[in-house]
Amino acid sequence: MTLLRHLVAAVVAGAVIWAASVQLNAFRDFQMAEIAVYVVAIAGLSMLIGLSGQISLGHGAFMAVGAYTAALLMLHLNWPLWAVFPASAVVTAAAGAVVGLAAARLHGPYLAGATLMLAVALPSLAVQFPGVFGGDQGLSVTVTTPAALGATFPPTRWLAWVCSLAALITLVILANLARSKVGRDWRAIRDDPVAAALAGLNVARLRVLAFIVSAACAGLAGAMLAITTSLVSPGSFTLSLSIALLAGAVLGGLGTLIGALWGALVIVLVPTYVTDVATSHGFSGGVAANIPIAAYGVVLIVVMLVFPHGIQGGLRRLARQFLSTPPTRLGPPGQRQPAGEPAEDLDAPYRRPPVSEHQEEGTS
Amino acid sequence: MPDQAALVVEHIESGYGGVMALRDVSIRANPGTITAVLGANGAGKTTLLATISGFVRPRQGRVALDGTDLTRRAPEQIVRAGVAHVPEGQAVITELTVEENLRVGGLWRHGPQGRAAALADAYQRFPILATARHRSAGTLSGGERQILVIARALMASPKVLLLDEPSLGLAPRIVAQVMSLIQRLRDESGLTVVLVEQNARSALAIADVGVVLNVGRVVVTEDAAALAADEALRKHYLGF
Amino acid sequence: MTEFLQFTLGGISFGMVYAAIALSLVLIWRGTRILNYSQGAMAVLTTYIALTVINHTGSYWEGFVVALAAGLVLGALIERTVIRPVENRPPLNAVVVTIGLLVLIEGIAGIIYGGQYRSFPTAFSITGLHAGSVPLGISRNDVFVAGAVLVVALALAALFRFTATGLRLRAAAFNPYASRLLGVRVGRVLTLGWALAGLIGALAGLLVSPNTFLYPSSMDSIFVLGFTAAVIGGLDSPVGAIVGGLILGVVLNYVGGYLGSNLVSIFGLIALMAVLLIRPSGLFSVTRERRV
Repeated sequence: MTLLRHLVAAVVAGAVIWAASVQLNAFRDFQMAEIAVYVVAIAGLSMLIGLSGQISLGHGAFMAVGAYTAALLMLHLNWPLWAVFPASAVVTAAAGAVVGLAAARLHGPYLAGATLMLAVALPSLAVQFPGVFGGDQGLSVTVTTPAALGATFPPTRWLAWVCSLAALITLVILANLARSKVGRDWRAIRDDPVAAALAGLNVARLRVLAFIVSAACAGLAGAMLAITTSLVSPGSFTLSLSIALLAGAVLGGLGTLIGALWGALVIVLVPTYVTDVATSHGFSGGVAANIPIAAYGVVLIVVMLVFPHGIQGGLRRLARQFLSTPPTRLGPPGQRQPAGEPAEDLDAPYRRPPVSEHQEEGTS
Repeated sequence: MPDQAALVVEHIESGYGGVMALRDVSIRANPGTITAVLGANGAGKTTLLATISGFVRPRQGRVALDGTDLTRRAPEQIVRAGVAHVPEGQAVITELTVEENLRVGGLWRHGPQGRAAALADAYQRFPILATARHRSAGTLSGGERQILVIARALMASPKVLLLDEPSLGLAPRIVAQVMSLIQRLRDESGLTVVLVEQNARSALAIADVGVVLNVGRVVVTEDAAALAADEALRKHYLGF
Repeated sequence: MTEFLQFTLGGISFGMVYAAIALSLVLIWRGTRILNYSQGAMAVLTTYIALTVINHTGSYWEGFVVALAAGLVLGALIERTVIRPVENRPPLNAVVVTIGLLVLIEGIAGIIYGGQYRSFPTAFSITGLHAGSVPLGISRNDVFVAGAVLVVALALAALFRFTATGLRLRAAAFNPYASRLLGVRVGRVLTLGWALAGLIGALAGLLVSPNTFLYPSSMDSIFVLGFTAAVIGGLDSPVGAIVGGLILGVVLNYVGGYLGSNLVSIFGLIALMAVLLIRPSGLFSVTRERRV
């Protein structure tokens, strides 16, 4: 029944997207495709961090793997899109398995460090083997709109359709995975690996599986990026990309799929908007380009301090307060827990038990 | 007996995360006395000490030392007011040596000279620490650790010493040594001690006043000897 | 053979810069169990400040001192405002906050100083030194770089071992609860730890910027390698930070010299993974990683 529910939601969303794509101009269609790319990438990362509790700072590297795979398949073997997308996902999933195996014993900052190094090191491989990967210039990719749609069909709309479809399929798969036993097992190893192991779960295998799934998403997203930007080069996969993906996942709300949409919207729409506002206010080009970067940083910090559950978490809280009737109070007034908070928040990131309450320092 | 109590706890309501471990608890610890706080597990004894030393903020009530209000102050300030808290499980800093543990205890109180004097004093009172001074504190036995943390707390010359279950996990012979040490501290230095214990028999043997907590409330406040003699009370609340 | 010698000595010089970053990361990690991803960005900002002072006064050393002071202030300020709230929360919060700081500081640097590559002066001459007629591949400045980091590291070690402040820093890092019970103002101590880390990071920025040129993201790769060095040495170990930095600096210099500069980051990754697979907590780690 969950599958049916998800499929219906996807179909409805698809209809909305199709209607919107017809109405909007070419640039907006392009942005729609871009948003779809990031939704897929962020959804995978969000699942990895939010559900299985592993922090990866190198997701951009996996996108690079998918993008280059797609470019090579299309350039040398002329594969059609419907074959290229899954192939990119599979190849990147294999890379994810390798990384996941190496990283299964690591956690916390050591895992973050290894994935960070991966993000920095992988793109330089492209420059090292310029014959295959096109070096700094990269590989260019061309996508032709199918003849069936007619000669005057705007190519950006085709991109929007293709990418949105890929994104919806991915989201349905992820949604089902999250609700399945695998999803529950991931949450178990996230919250308390020792207890999970004692309960019989194979922690290492689950961790690797999480890496595989999230890498597959990133690989698909990379392939989607390749066709939308028509160019695959090392410059597209810098550390900034990995940081942006992490930011999108956190801002949107870790472990939630709708959060991936919020995150993607923020990443794609906000920087250009802020730059436009800045230039229209008279800031020079250089400064205006850096204002969204600085603003980005501020938003990350503020969100983490004030809204650790991101946009989706904030919306959920609002919804609960407005829609649900408050339960009968079980204790004296002035409790720490707000009235509407359920006992088990399935999608909440890990909470370390507090060492001691009221640790605030005095005014000294 | 001076009529101004050294440590006063009045109508404290305190707890963690929505569960009130203490409801309306009042205790007076007179200067130079040992007040034993007794009761079963979960009665609220540890919460009481944590509230006095500032690690838990009381919802209601007042804590005062020699008239100075300590309620809702930060632990650092309460320590500087003269309260030393030795927690359950001791909190020995195992990565530091015995001497370093002691030195940390005296840091806020003394300048460089005072620290040396306080250290010498500690070694004189507790020779067992002198022999182990450069060993890592993690290598000490349970009884040695208990002595270390008491000595460490004394480095700052506190007025009040809060002890949380010092006998926990120790062999009976060592328990007797620790208890007699606490007794000596009261007799020789006039230290005010609040002694939380599950081992009620040993605690009452050295205490002046006995307070029994049950489910967060004070059910008995009595002279220690009288309390120990009252068979019915003992059996009901203290299990012996 | 001279080439090997040159690469080795040159690697030591670079390695000391990685060691400095690694040391500041270890300092913060031990005190607050947080990895400061903005360490490199903080160093960029303090180096820009130094450049402004140098251009204004014409004196390198004035800029040097101001940068170090700015590092102290910046570190303390960041801990007190932005890090304090996330010190007791799940580790992911601190990761995101420090990454947010990284982005914010680099953005601010871009706004104030612009994105162009600027040259940064060295403290001493960069002409190659010779042992007799053999070119050593390093300059007086390189010796200064290694020496400066060494002096700071030793000063830090002395602070920790012989002073009351150092004792507070260690006690608060090992057992903040016990330290609070003993009246140690743990919050202030943590701020001091971050301030010292800021100082060391500022030093690293000053020492390496002549080589990399100065632009908002110029410390990114240095930070990543410094981070790698810290992990290799063991995040809990200051000695490991220095050793890890030196090893990494020398090895990567060989790679860059013999195999080409492009493979440096890949070898960094290989080195990192090799160490972590054998000793998941780093070479000099004391705490044993829990195995699941």
